Amino acid sequence: MIKDAYGETLKHFSVKVRRQAGPNAKPYWENFRVEYESDMNVISVLQKIAAMSKTADGRTTTPVAWDCGCLEEVCGACTMVINGRVRQSCSALVDRLLGDSKEITLEPMSKFPVVRDLVVDRSRLFHNLKRVKAWVPVDTYYDMGPGPLQPRSQQEENYPLSECMSCGCCLEACPQFTKVEVKRQANETDEQFEARKAAAYDTAFLGPHAISQAMLFNNHPTGKNIADERLEALSGPGGIQVCGNAQNCVAVCPKHIPLTTSIGRAGRAVTLNKLRKWFGR
Amino acid sequence: MSKQRVVVVGGGLAGLSCTMKLCELGLDVDLISLVPVKRSHSVCAQGGINSCNDQTRQLGDSEWLHLDDTVYGGDFLQHQPPVKEMAMWGPKIIDLMDRLGVPFNRTGEGFIDRRRFGGTLYKRTAFAGATTGQQLLYALDEQVRRWEVEGRVKKYEHWDFLGPVLNDAGVCRGVVAQNLLTMEIRALPAEAVVIATGGPGLVYGRSTMSVMCTGSAASRCFQAGAKYANGEFIQVHPTAIPGADKLRLMSESARGEGGRVWVPRKPQDPRDPKAIPESERFYFLEERYPKYGNLVPRDIATREIFDVCVNEGLSVDKDRLCVYLDLTHIPASELDRKLGGILDIYQKFQGVDPRKTPMKIFPAVHYSMGGLWVDYQRHGDGGLVVGHPRNHQTNIPGLYAIGECDYQYHGANRLGANSLLSCIFSGLLVAPSIETLIKSTKRTAAEDATNLCEQARKDHQARHDAMLSRTGGNENPYLIHRELGDVMTKAATVVRRNDQLAAAYETVSELHERAKRCSLSDTGTWTNQNVAFTRSLLDMFPLAKTILKGALQRDECRGAHYKPEFAMPSLKADTPEGRRIEAEAWCDAFEANTARWLKSTIAVLDGDHPLLSYEDVDTSIIPPRPRLYGLVGAEEIDAVWKERSQRRAHESKLQPVG
Amino acid sequence: MGAWQVISSHQSKQGYIVLETAPTSAIQQTFFQRHEFLLRRLHSLSGLIPVGLFMMVHLTANATILNGVDAFQNVVFQIHTLGKILPLVEWTFIFLPIIFHAVFGFVFLWSGKSNASRYGYAANYRYTAQRITGIIAFVFIFYHVLHMHGLIHAEWFKTAIADPLGLARFRPYNAASTAARALQSPIISAIYVVGVLSCVYHFANGLWTMGITWGVWVTPKAQRWASHVCMGLGLIVAVIGMSAIVGFWKVDANAAEARENEIYERRVQDGSIYAAEHKRSGH
Repeated sequence: MIKDAYGETLKHFSVKVRRQAGPNAKPYWENFRVEYESDMNVISVLQKIAAMSKTADGRTTTPVAWDCGCLEEVCGACTMVINGRVRQSCSALVDRLLGDSKEITLEPMSKFPVVRDLVVDRSRLFHNLKRVKAWVPVDTYYDMGPGPLQPRSQQEENYPLSECMSCGCCLEACPQFTKVEVKRQANETDEQFEARKAAAYDTAFLGPHAISQAMLFNNHPTGKNIADERLEALSGPGGIQVCGNAQNCVAVCPKHIPLTTSIGRAGRAVTLNKLRKWFGR
Repeated sequence: MSKQRVVVVGGGLAGLSCTMKLCELGLDVDLISLVPVKRSHSVCAQGGINSCNDQTRQLGDSEWLHLDDTVYGGDFLQHQPPVKEMAMWGPKIIDLMDRLGVPFNRTGEGFIDRRRFGGTLYKRTAFAGATTGQQLLYALDEQVRRWEVEGRVKKYEHWDFLGPVLNDAGVCRGVVAQNLLTMEIRALPAEAVVIATGGPGLVYGRSTMSVMCTGSAASRCFQAGAKYANGEFIQVHPTAIPGADKLRLMSESARGEGGRVWVPRKPQDPRDPKAIPESERFYFLEERYPKYGNLVPRDIATREIFDVCVNEGLSVDKDRLCVYLDLTHIPASELDRKLGGILDIYQKFQGVDPRKTPMKIFPAVHYSMGGLWVDYQRHGDGGLVVGHPRNHQTNIPGLYAIGECDYQYHGANRLGANSLLSCIFSGLLVAPSIETLIKSTKRTAAEDATNLCEQARKDHQARHDAMLSRTGGNENPYLIHRELGDVMTKAATVVRRNDQLAAAYETVSELHERAKRCSLSDTGTWTNQNVAFTRSLLDMFPLAKTILKGALQRDECRGAHYKPEFAMPSLKADTPEGRRIEAEAWCDAFEANTARWLKSTIAVLDGDHPLLSYEDVDTSIIPPRPRLYGLVGAEEIDAVWKERSQRRAHESKLQPVG
Repeated sequence: MGAWQVISSHQSKQGYIVLETAPTSAIQQTFFQRHEFLLRRLHSLSGLIPVGLFMMVHLTANATILNGVDAFQNVVFQIHTLGKILPLVEWTFIFLPIIFHAVFGFVFLWSGKSNASRYGYAANYRYTAQRITGIIAFVFIFYHVLHMHGLIHAEWFKTAIADPLGLARFRPYNAASTAARALQSPIISAIYVVGVLSCVYHFANGLWTMGITWGVWVTPKAQRWASHVCMGLGLIVAVIGMSAIVGFWKVDANAAEARENEIYERRVQDGSIYAAEHKRSGH
């Protein structure tokens, strides 16, 4: 329970949402007055806003659009900027937020193109997983018996990296990961637009999540069969060299993934790989 | 001949395993998903995935015992050939997932570690930390991404499946889907369509399921003529954390480590729980089940918690049903060592430290055993003919269903850690079936179904436009959804009564009418979540009605479906003779009930209402036997049952079948 | 993938970067894109070798002023025994590397956007400080070279620009006295204090991030340890740098000049240096 300035139990609180009708529209702020209940999180706040569709001054408005999925912080969908910091809205508790400030502000992530309101286009994040070939290159899905034995220490090293839910917090907080927005042109087909986006993404920074995934698969007994290809990607345009070591990624990661350790390992692997390449094996 | 394509709807474990296998078989796939596939609900599965393995085999386990545990746990309501095939594939599936890079926990020597789960005596469950589902999903996601790079898979993420496209002969030749960002509606011709869209948790308002688990895709197939089976079998997990937005799982291990379940004796006692003296606390599980205490089986715990809150009015909170799950008597250091991870989850979402304050928990809808009816082709060995086009095909030719949204594997109750297996298995199994189907197709859908698809697209576009321009009606879809959830949760979860079910059916029908008059607060043509939600809300009603009607008509107790009125009684007599007579009568009643009710419920939609019929279950491998857990007189009943079984076996040997 | 290529980028009104693209067939990857990794790594390396190392040598040599005018002057003479190849050495190991490091430093500066006000973590402040001190260091070094060294050794430059602006003050054969006079003004001293400290921070923190970039220290524990070492080194270099500035304040310029001239005469006589009038005061 939260008390207001007069010691009374709080009945309402204010929520400020940065809205945007579409990719080319101008962003604007809208205020909502939300009825307080105990144990609320930002998802339930947005659900209430959707159900009432009225601003604080009583004007009818459209429901705020936002992304969510599992609501238990394992799917990564509901990432947004809450009171100035990027995080999942499902695990952002109203009582805690109101303890720190009088109102709650919700903004879309700033490093991805806004689709609408709090919904952003994170396709670049998944595209970058393609660039580093984040998969185990198995021959076939037929039964070929068990995989190679793996020491427990290797599993313990890989499991935390494999918990990355592609939420984008590390990218939002990274000062070196900047927004790439490709505007759709008139008379352009979906395929042409997608191709243009892919090309733009291909030379921009990979980001900590993709670097860490590359290290995950380079540390897998079969995954490392294409380790050199991943290292090539890591040293290509927009590769690991763009990292500025601000180390925000590891600080904001909701899963506490050792991203800077991955970056350090990747730096070492790429250095050795290049030396081998330039000076012969 | 243009390239043949398959449409897979849903990108969870089932949809992704199917997609990658189809690609390997040389088929191209259009993969439609409401969310980026990596965010599918499969990520929420924590526990693990079951299979017989080298170690358990040497302790007497086998694929047959896995089959037996599964059908016994499911109260014999599932056809046994598909379950047998699944149990046989289990070890191979774990091997495959291991090769794909799933970071399963390891033994000191480097083998996959196993843990024991409910409903079995063997350590069959492979696991990856506390996020096995997530890890399995990611491994499949990565493989599908690999095929995507090769141009073999085209993903339609943030797309909503609006319905199958059927030709005049009733054969599925494609789908219509909508981009939920641009709102563009498009038809995709396909030789086969696979529905892999998971469970319908949102029919119950809040559940342990993700927000996209509306069941609308299955419902749209149902409305297009697909049969829906065993809808009334909904698994409820006893301990979940009630939240304003979602009910999050609290692992059973909290009770395993000594957690005590209680409510204040005084209804809604406003005092701090720590201030309530022992004498004023009602430890209802310990009082009612002195032998098992807080560790009664899941279904019993679920029923008792539900009963104490709903029927006895002893819920801790007035406006929200819940009981205390108390760990505060255990030293914090011990709790951290044994339960650290799950206690952190509680603290993260409730903002309260469960080491200091009792947790508030309540049962929550968790899984649907029922789903779209699907076919199979039985093999002479009791399993399936792999690659037969009938496997996992709905009654609509060319339309397939796999994963949680089919009804095939879990009967009346699902065993823990079997769902991940059934999802991956059904995905891998259906791919060669589709390959066979396509080989026999002469003309591709792109060639001969283009006009058909275009017409279907126009129909859906018109429906969509009509919804946007609807003027009348002031109903709010979000509030109707909340009402629907409340009605369904009250009537059709743990304890079911015919009067309540009948009343709920009426209420849901009224809500359905009101939902048709919903007005949209957003009539825009860009990323309109309002229209998508309202549409899926409308699609929840056929499923809700099917669940209610199935439960209403099924006058028995089976697995997750519990009607106290029809529960099999305990033995009451004091003398051995009296007990013997009662046990004989009990077995007679059991046999009669089996003859009457060991049948799949099959629903078809007639207008706004489901019509039910019943279909025999293939129990040819393991004959049904009573589940006697916790029943007084279980020994006598068991003895009588064994005699009868032996007699029957003897008779069948003497008399040739015919 | 890769069928289209970015051809240009510009900052949009909303403040983010918009990339224009065209098919790869129509345009080659830019030189910068093809060699981004190599350029970034060379940039990282050049900060230590030779730029960082030179700075340490330079500050240490200056700090010998603490031992008196003779000591400092002899160090300078030692350097100037290189004579005719001195410019080659200077350009190869000092000016060109600094120019390379600075030019690409500015290029890379645009690829990031500091957000320390939102995410106030220590490493993030250091990231921002690295960029700010880099800019200060660039401005300072440019000024310092002009101030002491001058740009062109031509008479017209000296009379028309350098003398009126107080530039090209340093004369290696009157090292202590000219340096002391150049640093007489408190404002210039303050500029030197800020400039030198910025250079030192930029060097020490750059050494730490370089260790991560090249994969020398990988784990958080190793990085913490390395951070202490780098900061320790930075402190030591800062003390040396400040000692030099303080040392020059204490020099009596007139007495020093007389002494320097004495040494000059003697060393020219015994042949241990070349006579070079333009390296002396009054020229």
